[in-house]
Formats: sequence, structure tokens, C-alpha cells
Amino acid sequence: MASQPALRDLEQFLFHEARLIDEKRWEEWGALFTEDGEYWVPATRGQPDPKNHVSLMYETTLLRDVRLKRYRHPNAMSLQPLPHSVHVIANVMLDSFDEAAGTCVVNSRFIMLEYRRNEQQTYGGATMHVLEQSGQSFKIRMKKVELANCDSVLPSIQIYF
Amino acid sequence: MTWSRERLSALVRQDAVDRQVYMDPELFELEMERIWGRAWIYIGHESQIPESGSFFTTDLARQPVLLVRHDKETFHLFFNRCAHKGTKVVELESGRAPMLRCGYHGWTYRTDGVCHHITGGDAAYQALGLSKGSLCMNLTKVPRAESYRGFIFASLAPDAPELASWLGPTAASIDNMIDRSPEGRLEVAGGVLRYHHDSNWKFFVENLNDMMHAMIAHQSSAQVARQLGKKIAAEGGTLPPEIQILAPFAEDPDFFEKMGVHAFANGHSYSGGKISIHASYSGIPEYEAALEQAYGKERMEQILSLNRHNTVVYPSFTCKGAIQTIRVVKPVAVDETVIESWTFRLVGAPDELLQRSILYCNLINSSANIVGPDDREAYHRLQHGLRSKGERWVSNRRYVGAGEPNEEGGRSATGSSDMVFRNQFEAWRQYMTADAAGGG
Repeated sequence: MASQPALRDLEQFLFHEARLIDEKRWEEWGALFTEDGEYWVPATRGQPDPKNHVSLMYETTLLRDVRLKRYRHPNAMSLQPLPHSVHVIANVMLDSFDEAAGTCVVNSRFIMLEYRRNEQQTYGGATMHVLEQSGQSFKIRMKKVELANCDSVLPSIQIYF
Repeated sequence: MTWSRERLSALVRQDAVDRQVYMDPELFELEMERIWGRAWIYIGHESQIPESGSFFTTDLARQPVLLVRHDKETFHLFFNRCAHKGTKVVELESGRAPMLRCGYHGWTYRTDGVCHHITGGDAAYQALGLSKGSLCMNLTKVPRAESYRGFIFASLAPDAPELASWLGPTAASIDNMIDRSPEGRLEVAGGVLRYHHDSNWKFFVENLNDMMHAMIAHQSSAQVARQLGKKIAAEGGTLPPEIQILAPFAEDPDFFEKMGVHAFANGHSYSGGKISIHASYSGIPEYEAALEQAYGKERMEQILSLNRHNTVVYPSFTCKGAIQTIRVVKPVAVDETVIESWTFRLVGAPDELLQRSILYCNLINSSANIVGPDDREAYHRLQHGLRSKGERWVSNRRYVGAGEPNEEGGRSATGSSDMVFRNQFEAWRQYMTADAAGGG
């Protein structure tokens, strides 16, 4: 990575990523991750790691692949009817840039509405992206979502934050 | 409409139950009194209150309770309400304190529940002849609380039978989970997942030993996992643990028939035993070495060969000994239930064991997983389908009469038999129609 990415480009990438989820462009969304890219939603505040404590979601490429393919399966009971989402991404800040590794850490806040069959849930939280530059855009090495109500009693959550 | 003993009894037939058992709010209130107010209900594990003053708060039949370690040998279970005005004394879920102080008016209790301090002293109670030494100034104990090898259950019925005998052959499922530790000890570890369900608690309890749903309801995740597994195997790779966990949900119906179901007194049951969907996880050599050193080869093989799938201690506690996880049932309303899932560390075993339990819970028990939402959806559709008054009876007809007595004093049947459900409703009928004076 030659130089520190512009905040506007980072923002546009996060908006694009969220839009792919809202528009159910699952395969395109999955392709945003690096081969070892991780997606993690801790189940408790300040959770140090995803291996020794339960998480709401902790997905490597393999599990992401299972979930994304399941979205297209004809007999996924809980996806009939399909859930729909709206993401709003804000407060985007570049926390750090590692010139040698070509990666940056981006912090943002989000509100997501998940709607399915006359019920709407509201989620919000802080997201940390570890991004690496890939051509004119970025790839996600890690997306960690710290949900405001991560330790609450929660109903089914079927859309990525 | 009052629920007389006759009307209650008529809700349960050998081959079917009245839809009202899942739908009627008055029946739900009666269940809280007569089933959840009489049976032994799971509270927590002793490792959650390791030291004097350690406490843990939870609900018992919707009532707030407070579990406190008093000293090395003694724990107490109190109703979590101040003797003064009834304020919930301890709000935190867990912690440690030398005394328990109510935040409202400052009344303070020792860890044995005895009142230590009344704000303003005894003078205000002189006319009644009361002081802080009076019984009514103490925290009130839940009538019964006992530990079965670290697993604490409580009953609101003073005359509840002794816990170990009430557990019957399901105690062996708990034993097996403990035996899987080279030191014979378990510790709660790895946090808790709490999953909200918009359905009656009995749908969940039945589903655990419903051997017909997995390959249908979980087809979407398990089939995809199998396909990915095949691809990995074809490329010469070993199956990752995620695939080992997900793929068996799509086993052939015949596999689930062979797992079998086993039913016992008090509504208890388990499925599997010799085989289960957890039986083919790859071994962890370091763990097996530790286990063999502790128990010898023969005993180790005996411990690891017991593969009970789900054990249900009716109505509140379910466990998977083979992967050291429990699920705890907490009814909220006739159509609302919270399911908690907890994982355990096998003391003396490598970290991989706990990590496998955690991975399993992330994949199956988390609100955001890809298996549980299909179960939750099935219960939701049951709750809504049964609004239909076109048919009064909910079928439990599969393999009526076909089971046979087993060595443990219960009955065993082929996996897709409804025997476990019939057995649960026989216990339900007995609890609901027993002398209404008991419980609370």
C-alpha cells in the first residue's frame, strides 16, 4: 500500500459492503473477504477472543460459505419468508494504518433494522474492520461487530450486521 | 373456566394431547404451580459459586432466586427479595460479596440469609416484639435445593423426593459428562447464550428427542455442510470440526431410528446412547492419554463410548454429555420461552475440548446461528398452526405400544417413535392432577 487510504474511499467501501447485504447480493458480499477473512460478533463486552468464549457469530471462510449457500437453499425453513435489512453506517474513523503490512483499521457505528414477517428488530453497535488494499478497493481481513445488546436475550438473527 | 382434575386429565390421551396444553394461558399458570412448582428445576453449577460470598442469580418458575456460597460445604438458595419491602436484593447476575445489601433501604444480610443490619435499628419494631434476630427479618429460603455432583437443582415443594432418585437413569448422563474430565470435575466456562423463542416451552423440550426433524428442518445447513465436506474429502483434506458438527444433522432417517429414544419416570428421557450425531468427532490424542492415565484403558473406552444425544430432565434441564453443554429452559409466558446454553470445561483436559463445546454452541445454540433458527421457526409455526380449532388433538401416535423395557427400568423405542412425548405428557398429567395443595 503506497499511501494512507482516503477516509472517503474507506467510507464508500463500508457503505458498499452494507448495501450488498441489504440487497442480498450474498456472493458479492462474501467475495469482499480475504481467503482467511473472519467475521465475528462477540456475545459479551470486551470478549478477548472467539475461541474460548461463545459468540453470537464467529465465521471463517468455510462457515461463511455454508451460510451464504444456505441463503439460496430451497428448504431453509426460517428463511421463508426471507428477512430484510436496512443498514445505516456512520461515524467512520481511520484508527490506524500499517504501511508495511498494507492494512488499516477502520472503526464505525451502525444501526441495522432486521424485518421479517411483521416483526422488526433494531440492532446497533460498533464495527471494527481490518482492511487490506486490493487494486482500487479493499478486502476484509476481519470484521468484528460489537453489538450494544450482545449479552441480551435475543431472537433469531439471520442477516449479517 | 376452572380446570378441574377431570378436565385436566382429559387433555392427555395415550395417543394425543389437546391443543390447549400449548395455547391456554390459564394452563400455563397451572403448569408454573404444579409442574415447575413441584419438580426439581435446574438452578446452576457449583463452579459458579466457588468461594464464600460468591453469588449467582437466576429464575425459578419465573421467580427471582439468589444462589450464595456460605462456606466450603454450604450453599443457600434464597428468594431474591428483601425481607423489608420485597426489593430484589441482588441485581447482578454473578459476583462476590461478604454481605448482601439491599440498595433501596440498606438492609443487609449474611451469606446464610440472616439479617445483619436494619437501617435505623430495631426500635421501630418494638411494638411488634420484633428485632433483627426475628425469622421474618431474614432472606427466605427456597424450600429445597440440592446438588447432584455439582449440578444444583431446587424445588418449591418441601416434600419433593430426594434429587438423585428423582433424576433416575438420567443421572448417568450427568455422570458421563463429569467422568469425561480426567479429574472428575467440571467448571462452567465460556459464557452463556440466551435465545428468545416466541413459543411454548414444551415444543423445545419435545424437540430435543424428536429424531424425525433434523434431516428435514436442518436440511439447508446440513446438506450444504455435507457438500462442502465431500469436496474437502475429495481434495484429500481432513474434515474440519465445523463440518463434523453440522453434517450429521443430515444423516439418513435410518441413522436416527437406530439412535433410539429412551423414556423414564417423571417425564425424563434421552436419545442415542451407543451412537449419536456426536459420535464421529475426531479424537484428541492428548485428551485420550490424560483420560487413560486417570481411569485405565477399559474404563476410558467405556466413558467415551457412551454417546447420549440429548438428555431431558423434565421439565427444565437438558444436557449433551459428549460435548459438555447444557441447555436450560425458562418459560416466560404460554407462548414465550428463553433457552440458555452453557458450556463446561473438563478439568484436566486440553483446551480443545472446551473450544469444541464453544464451537458447537456457536453453530447450534446462538441466536445468530444457522441451525437453531429453523427449530425456532418450527415452534413458531406450531404455536400458530395450533390456533386452528379444526382439530382438537395433537398427534403422538407413532409406534404406540411398540417400545420395550430397557435395562435401566424405562422403555426404549425406535428413534421416530413418539414414546418420549407420550411419556412427557404422562408426567405432565400426573403433575397437573396431583393434589393441588402442594407446590407454590
